[in-house]
Parts: sequence; structure tokens; C-alpha cells
Amino acid sequence: MADITAAAPRRRARRLNLRLWLPLLWLGAVALAAIFAPLVAPQDPLMQDLMLERLPPAFMDGSEPGYWLGTDSLGRDVLSRMIHGARIALFVSLVAATATCLFGAALGLVAGYFGGWWDRVISRLVDIWMAFPPVLFAVLLVAVIGTGLTSVIAAIALIDWTRFARVIRAETMVQARMDYVDSARIGGARRLTTLISEILPNVLPSIIALLMLEMGIAVIVEAILSFVNLSISSDDPTWGSMIAEGRNAIHFAWWVLLFPLIALFLTVLSFSTLGEGLKQRFDPVLQ
Amino acid sequence: MTAQTQTRTTASEAVAPAPSLFSVRDLRLSFPDLARKPLLGAAPRNEVLKGLSFDIPAGQITGIVGESGSGKSTAGRVLVRLLEPDSGSVLYEGRDIGHLDESALRPLRRDLQMIFQDPMSSLNPRHKVWRIIAQPMKRYGLGGTRADAIAALGKVGLPAAFAERYPHELSGGQRQRVGIARAIALKPRFILADEIVSGLDVSSQAQVLLLLKQLAREMGLTIAFISHDLSVIRHLCDRVIVLNRGEIVEQGSVDAVFRAPASDVTRTLLTAIPLPELDPDWLS
Amino acid sequence: MTGSHTHPNTLDVMQLGIALPNGHRLLRDVSLSLRPGEVRALVGESGAGKSMIGKAVLGILPQNLRVTGGEILLEGQHLGAMTPWTRRKTVAQSAALIPQDPLTALNPARRIGPQITDPLVRIHGWSRAKARDTALALLDRVHIRDPKRVMESYPHELSGGMRQRVLIAAAFAPSPRLIVADEPTTALDVTVQKQILRLIRELQQETGTAVLFVTHDMGVVAKISQKVTVLFAGKVMEDAPTERIFTDPAHPYTRALIAATPSYADLDRPFSPVPQTLIAELQGAIARDDARHQGAAR
Repeated sequence: MADITAAAPRRRARRLNLRLWLPLLWLGAVALAAIFAPLVAPQDPLMQDLMLERLPPAFMDGSEPGYWLGTDSLGRDVLSRMIHGARIALFVSLVAATATCLFGAALGLVAGYFGGWWDRVISRLVDIWMAFPPVLFAVLLVAVIGTGLTSVIAAIALIDWTRFARVIRAETMVQARMDYVDSARIGGARRLTTLISEILPNVLPSIIALLMLEMGIAVIVEAILSFVNLSISSDDPTWGSMIAEGRNAIHFAWWVLLFPLIALFLTVLSFSTLGEGLKQRFDPVLQ
Repeated sequence: MTAQTQTRTTASEAVAPAPSLFSVRDLRLSFPDLARKPLLGAAPRNEVLKGLSFDIPAGQITGIVGESGSGKSTAGRVLVRLLEPDSGSVLYEGRDIGHLDESALRPLRRDLQMIFQDPMSSLNPRHKVWRIIAQPMKRYGLGGTRADAIAALGKVGLPAAFAERYPHELSGGQRQRVGIARAIALKPRFILADEIVSGLDVSSQAQVLLLLKQLAREMGLTIAFISHDLSVIRHLCDRVIVLNRGEIVEQGSVDAVFRAPASDVTRTLLTAIPLPELDPDWLS
Repeated sequence: MTGSHTHPNTLDVMQLGIALPNGHRLLRDVSLSLRPGEVRALVGESGAGKSMIGKAVLGILPQNLRVTGGEILLEGQHLGAMTPWTRRKTVAQSAALIPQDPLTALNPARRIGPQITDPLVRIHGWSRAKARDTALALLDRVHIRDPKRVMESYPHELSGGMRQRVLIAAAFAPSPRLIVADEPTTALDVTVQKQILRLIRELQQETGTAVLFVTHDMGVVAKISQKVTVLFAGKVMEDAPTERIFTDPAHPYTRALIAATPSYADLDRPFSPVPQTLIAELQGAIARDDARHQGAAR
């Protein structure tokens, strides 16, 4: 009975997981900056001062104290605008991605597990939806509801739920074929119970990874919509509108473009890396 | 597994037969063959079970043997109603359960348990062992506390510490014990054991089989034991049903079938087993 | 390549040790040898390290394993002394593998034919025509009814037994001196297993190829091999002719393995698990050994 020795299971010594902590560090910093923006931002993000236009960042000649990352062509502080822009970026990514995830994942789970009629209807809907060009869809939507944060969020959710539905449906179908699902039936579980307490925990890591990815995508979509001036009013600072403005001055004031771009890049990268990191972290088998 | 099986003679055939727990008549089942599905219209169907008639006597271990594709697992899954037959009757204690819907089956499921071939896939990787065992108990009002799960683990010879483990932290033999613990925790009347030792080392195989035999005796269980290994069936079972391509080619008491196999299929299966003894002519 | 003709053994594994990067030992000073035309069974339970020996010989160990010591001689040539490239070439030219899982061993996206002939052309420098003729002849030899059609088929069009026949043909095609058969019948039905074992035996006897046959089944050991190495936890428990293993096994673990294998023909012999006390005793001895080993290394 070598079989039943109760030696403690081997666990890998917990190393500091950089894939988890680096993105968390960056996102935490961005989130704190966003929440306490009025306290953290060194200047008023909307205050124009034509005497201070296109100031270079602090490490270059000709900079002014208090304007760490320089100013744009209207003399507004880049760092302060970025900090306030983070508010919008994070708000949109959080709300839009969560809405997308809840809607898409629920449909994916139902289609993947109940199959049959449910699956046919949901899958056809996804097919039809995906045949629609997403950019056109977003522009149409904004044209109908008008510009503003609500329409940005609605656009993201209405376009991207298909991604969740498709991936989660496939994943659910794989899980539904596992013996533990039959085993739950043998154990007298109802179908909805089986879906929620047996299958969902196994699909959850994928949902979390997708959710993180979607947050990154939401940040980008918001930036793109502000870039083409379809998001909120152009006075309010967003990363996308800053990039759009910075583009015009790239030859003589590159910092206006570069710093929001770096913030956008790091944020999106952090979300997708965090997604993978969390997926591994929550998988008892991979650990 | 001792030699005592030998003392039980074929006389049991002549004496009043044990009452049947299951009585299956002309069982037919087919699956759609999606590989040959035309673009429009229904896929042609592959007949997997072609009119099986057999009884599972109460309190005995019935072996179901055959090669892959013989339909043995499919037949087993009809008994515990994971599958619904196309036609024919599946009488459980005289009641046809062949076409009951899921809610009508739920009260029956407690009595009709199953142990799966691959314990890795049949134990939810996200749940701890105690939860895997306790959840069905709770559903049927049989307790379902951590202590109840630990008691069930004790019956299969696993210490309490295993309650807090995840399935992937166990060896194959241990996982299969957890599968047995989950089934017996409901105090069922019937257990379907589907190739439960085919993935195990010989040593764990012997342990699991001894355990199953002991539990069957203690709890008065009726067992259908699906296997491709006639040696195991010979040692464990009272009766045997030999399947080939969805049809029964032979059935009877193990003593009778092994002493004088009536079907070529049975003889081929028997001679194909490499016994652990020298036989220079076996491969020629 | 000189000297290989005079060396009596096809394979010599001497004091082979393999460990995980954290130092945990998986193989402990394993030695065995294989004469031309001989079949040696490597038997043990899962975790005994039996597959690892074959993989070490073929140079296909998982990346994270370290060889901690020992020598492997293929036809008298020290594999350890070669550059990785020469070693790969030497092994490819004189050894072949029959894998455990015929489903995953063939590329599902390519036809059977080129999967057999490509290595013959690439490694052995044969002409396309010669490779194709040999492949056809061998497919016929492994009792495949329509070799031409099978060469044109994709793996999913064949049954498990057929695929294993294809892999056997592929392994024997270049007339290797050594074949490592890694549990080649575990995934098959018993009747198919018997046919496959018979095929391996026939081809091996015709060509004089030595076979290292990895299995966990004492029944298969009894039928196919002339020599047996019994492994437990990466250590050799017994090395003896097959006849002796089944008539007069020297090691208690060998006796326990045989006793754990059920036999329909022998109801007087109860089959019983390997006793817990024996396993504890063996594990204890190995732990003491490892401690000494570590002490010596320090």
C-alpha cells in the first residue's frame, strides 16, 4: 500500500512571480494616480498658459520647475493631463470590460453546456454579429447615442461580447465532455448546479485572462475613439486625445505624444500580462 | 483475491437464480456518425448496441468484457442512465428506467453509482477531495460534512489528511480510491465500475480490486464490472457477459464460461492474454 | 565507426544516473547490456524510470533532466564522448524507436508514405525510389493489406493497430541495430497486442535487431524477452534471463510484481498487491543510498 502514505503534497516553493507583480505595480500606480488625480497632479490639467507652451520635460534644457513632463502647444501640463486621463482610461476599461465579460461569458457558458437549441441560436447570433465591421459599428453607435463615455462603453461591450462568447463556449464544450460532469449527474446534481459549481470554476481562469485582455483593449478603443474625437469632449484630457494632439507637434515637441503613448502601452501590456499571470496563479494544476 | 472463487461451483446455475436487479431486453442504441454527415440533413447513425438482452443479478459482480468498440462502456452507461437507449427496455427492480427524464432519474441516481475509468478526468480538478465526496451526500440528505467525507475516505483506506488535497496531488491509485469513496458514500445498491483499473500499475490494480471486492461483500452491493482483462474478471466476478461489436456473444457464470468458452470471440480474448508465465509457443 | 564490428554488445548502459535540476535522482547507477538479436525487457511500475533509459539512449530526454553520470555505448561507441551533432547522427543511423502512443507519434497533417520515407532519404541517404520500395515491402511484411493505399493515407484514416504496424515498419525500415520499444502495446486491445508482439518478434528475429522493450506488464515480459531488468525507483532490482525471472526470481520485488499480475489460468495463486512493508524497505534502502551519495559528492 505504497499508495496511501499521507506524505504532504509537494508544493513548489513560491517564487516572486514577476509576471504578476510588475503589471500589478504599474496598474496600482495608475489606479492611485487616477483616484487621487486632483491631489496628485502638479497642475490644473485644463489651465492654458500660452507663455509656457511646449515646455520640454524636466531633464532637458529650458524646462520649468513643476512641469515634469513638459507642456503641450496650449501650455497645459502633460503629466497632469496624463494623470487625469488615467481616470477616464481606467473607468472605461473597468466598466466596459466587466460588462462585456458578464454578457459574453454567460452566453458562452450556456451555449457550450446546454448545447442544442441554445447553442444554435447563440452561435448564429455571434456569427452574424462578427460579420459586422466593428469600426463602422462603433461610429454608427456613437452617431446614434452621441459622443460621450456612455457610448464608448456601450460600443466596446456591444462589439466585443462575441470574443467572450466564442472562447468561453469552446472552453465550456471541452469541460462538458470531461467525466467529472457525468460524475456530477451521477451524484444527482441539476444541470444549472453542474454548470455553476463544476464547470465554471474550470473555465474561470480563461474568463479572467480574457477579462484582463479586454481591459487592455478597452483602453485602446477609448484612446482610438478620442483620437478621432468620438469620445468625450476634446477639452477633457484623455490619452487618446493627447496622442492626437501630440501627433501634430511630433517634430518639435515629441514629449506631448511620447509620454501618453508610453502610459497607454504599459497599461495595455500590464493588463494582458496580468491576465496570463492570474490564469496561472489560480490554476491548482499548473502551480 | 483468493482461491475461494473456485469453491463456488457451477451449481449456482442450477439452484434458484439470484433475483435480478437489472433486466435488460433488446437494448438498442445508435450514435450519429458526424464524419459521414451530409451538408444538409441528418447524419447517418452508427448502431453501437444491437439488441442486448441480459440480467444483472442482485448482490453479485457481473463482468462485462469485450474489445474497444464492442459497446461495453455504452451498455454500462445506459444502466446508470447517462445515455438513453433508442429502444428496448431497461428494467431496474421491475421498473423501466430507459426513458425517464432527468428529474425523474434524480431520486434513483443515489442507488445507481458509477466509478470512472480515468479518475483524473472524473474528479473535478478545482475541488478538494472532501468536497468531491461530500457534495452528492448533501444532495441526498446523507450529511455531507467534512467529517462524513473523512469517514468515507477511511472506508477506502485513505487517511483523513487526504480530505484537504486536490485530485492532482494524488497518485492514480489514490484517485481511484477517492472515486470509490464518492460512490459508496451514498450507500448505493448498484455500482458501475468502468475499466477502473486499466490505467493503474499492477500493484495499485490489485489493491483497488481487493478493496472493491471487500466493499461489495460488506455493503451487499451489486456491481457491473467493465473490463477488457479476462484475468481480472476471472478473479473478481461471479458472472460474465462477453460483447463483440454491439452484440452479446456469450454469457454465464465465470466458472462455466472460462471452463468451456462457447464463442470464438471468448476463446480469442482468452488466448490473447499474455499470462505471467513462460510459454515459448505463445507468439508462434 | 571502426571497431563497431568487433564489439560484442549492441548496447551497453553503464552506471547511468539521471536527476532533476533540484538534485532529485530519477535513475540510480543503472547498468544493462544488450547483445545483437536479443530482446531485453525493462519492467517496473510508473515512476520506476524505465522509459527514461530508452530516452537517454536515443538522446531524447526532456530538457530539464540532467545526466549525472555513467556511460552509454552504442555498438561500442561512447555516445557521451561525441559532439551533439555526431551523436544525433550516430543514434539516428543505428537506433530507432517504436513509441507508446501510435496516435500522437504520427503527424496528423501528413500522409503516411513520406513520414516513413523521409528519414530514410534524409538520414540514411537513400534514393527516393529505394526508400519507397523498402517502405512498401515492409508495410506488406507487417501484414498491411494494401500498402500503396496506406502510403497515401492520413493517420486518422487508420485504426490504432494499423498505425502501430506503420510505426513498426518505419522503425525497422533502415535495418537499425537497436530498437527501443516504449510500451508499444499499452494503448491497444489484447488481441491486437498479441499481433503486434508477434510482429516485433518476427521482424527482430529476421533482422537480428536488438530490442529494448519497455513495459509494465509481467505477462508481456514473459512472452517477448530473453533478458529482464527489473526497476524500482530508478534502481535495478534484478537483472536475469527471463526464464530465471519466472522460475526462480531472486529479488523479493520481482516476486511481488509477478504475484500482483492476475492470471485467469491460475486461480489457486491469489494475486496480491506489492506488500507495503517491502516497498518501505526498498525506499528506505534507496534513501540511505542517496544520503551516502550526497555525502560523497560533498
